[in-house]
Amino acid sequence: MKSDVLQHLDLWARAIMPTITTLLLALLDVIPIGVPAISDVSPLFTMMAIFYWAVYRPDLVPPFVVFLIGLLQDILLGNPTGLFALVLLGVLGATLSQRMAFVGKPFVFAWLGFAVISAAAFFTMWLLTCVLTTQIVLTTDVFFQYGLTTCCFPVAAWLFVRIHRHLVR
Amino acid sequence: MSRRPVSFSKVAQPVRSLMQRFAFSALFVTAFALMLMGKADIVLVERTRVAVNDAMVPVLDILSQPAASITKTIDSVSELHDLHGELERLKAENKRLRQWHHVATGLEAENRALRGLAHFVPPPDPAIISGRAISNTGGPFVRSVLVNVGSRDGVRRGLATVSGAGFVGVVVEVGELHSRVLLITDLNSQIPVVVQTTRDPGVLSGDNSNRPRLLFLPQNAKISTGNPVVTSGEGGVLPAGIPVGVITAIGDSGIRVKPFVDWERLEYVQFLDYRLGGVVKIPGTGLAGTGTRE
Repeated sequence: MKSDVLQHLDLWARAIMPTITTLLLALLDVIPIGVPAISDVSPLFTMMAIFYWAVYRPDLVPPFVVFLIGLLQDILLGNPTGLFALVLLGVLGATLSQRMAFVGKPFVFAWLGFAVISAAAFFTMWLLTCVLTTQIVLTTDVFFQYGLTTCCFPVAAWLFVRIHRHLVR
Repeated sequence: MSRRPVSFSKVAQPVRSLMQRFAFSALFVTAFALMLMGKADIVLVERTRVAVNDAMVPVLDILSQPAASITKTIDSVSELHDLHGELERLKAENKRLRQWHHVATGLEAENRALRGLAHFVPPPDPAIISGRAISNTGGPFVRSVLVNVGSRDGVRRGLATVSGAGFVGVVVEVGELHSRVLLITDLNSQIPVVVQTTRDPGVLSGDNSNRPRLLFLPQNAKISTGNPVVTSGEGGVLPAGIPVGVITAIGDSGIRVKPFVDWERLEYVQFLDYRLGGVVKIPGTGLAGTGTRE
């Protein structure tokens, strides 16, 4: 009986690992990371986490959690409320519909897929910000952040694979 | 994918997927609605934002601690790289500053004498509230920063925020434990300024780049690159004379100002409160301020 409870607890802890990593990375997106060159524009780790978990463990990324994490990040960063939540839900939806193209294929496919989906996400974010502020937002920093996010994806994926193997299984 | 027993999932799967699809659309619509509601300045949205930020302050406060040490490490490594060059540069700068010191002492004496002759009443010194930045500057879509002091420490909306080098921005949101500063580089930031040397008034308007534009200068303004820009105090919201930056480019893309603040090393900021004069004694005079700035 006791071991049964422990086993359930263990399963539960493993099941919420993707949520925890995504939440921690959402906070990492918000805090100053202290690296001078990229302090203005840092990569969006949340997007990477949601893409990875949506591809490899879609059962462990409930849309509601993604929505809440997006909302939290919006509030902490001072974005219009709901902007990032909407974009992250879009990333989740797009990834879930295309995930069979990445599962069991070499990593490059997933990377390419992430590059395409995050490009659409950044474009949506840019468009919505332009509409909400009724001004044209400069695109240089948007491109820079997109490039940085795409380039950092393999590093983040390496970490996710470790977490996936050892903590989620 | 599912780890549940087959018999259960056979029944539950279609229902679950239908529920999930519905939940997905509902969340999508909610996010969109929230965005529009935020645009309409609904009090509940505003209050929720403040409450969430307040709740997250302790977490961000701890998580943001290592940032400063990472910056310091990177800085010291790059300094080690060119120690000799840095020494030469500092020697030259020290020599130049010593000359400026002489000039400044002379001017200060002259200024004091002239103020005495003209019976000039100096504006009250501001109350200063210091805090630490606990978020980054926001990225390409918004430029604002969270600071770990709030209404409990006397921060109010509209206070001018400076760092050691110059003007940072204006407080736009205050909670019990936090405040959000809209940086002068943000799209929504419009700061009344004056070109210090020519006294030409204008508006510093951010566009999310690191070089805000200087707009609405008079037609006959004789400005040139290198001219310093300070706040003008026009409109009575901000104090006058806070250094903002220097004009770096005059061209097709408008007049660009390089802020004095080093955004990459924005760690501690100060809020200047000129209206607390009634509480805070003005150093040196023994007088208490009247509580108004004008």
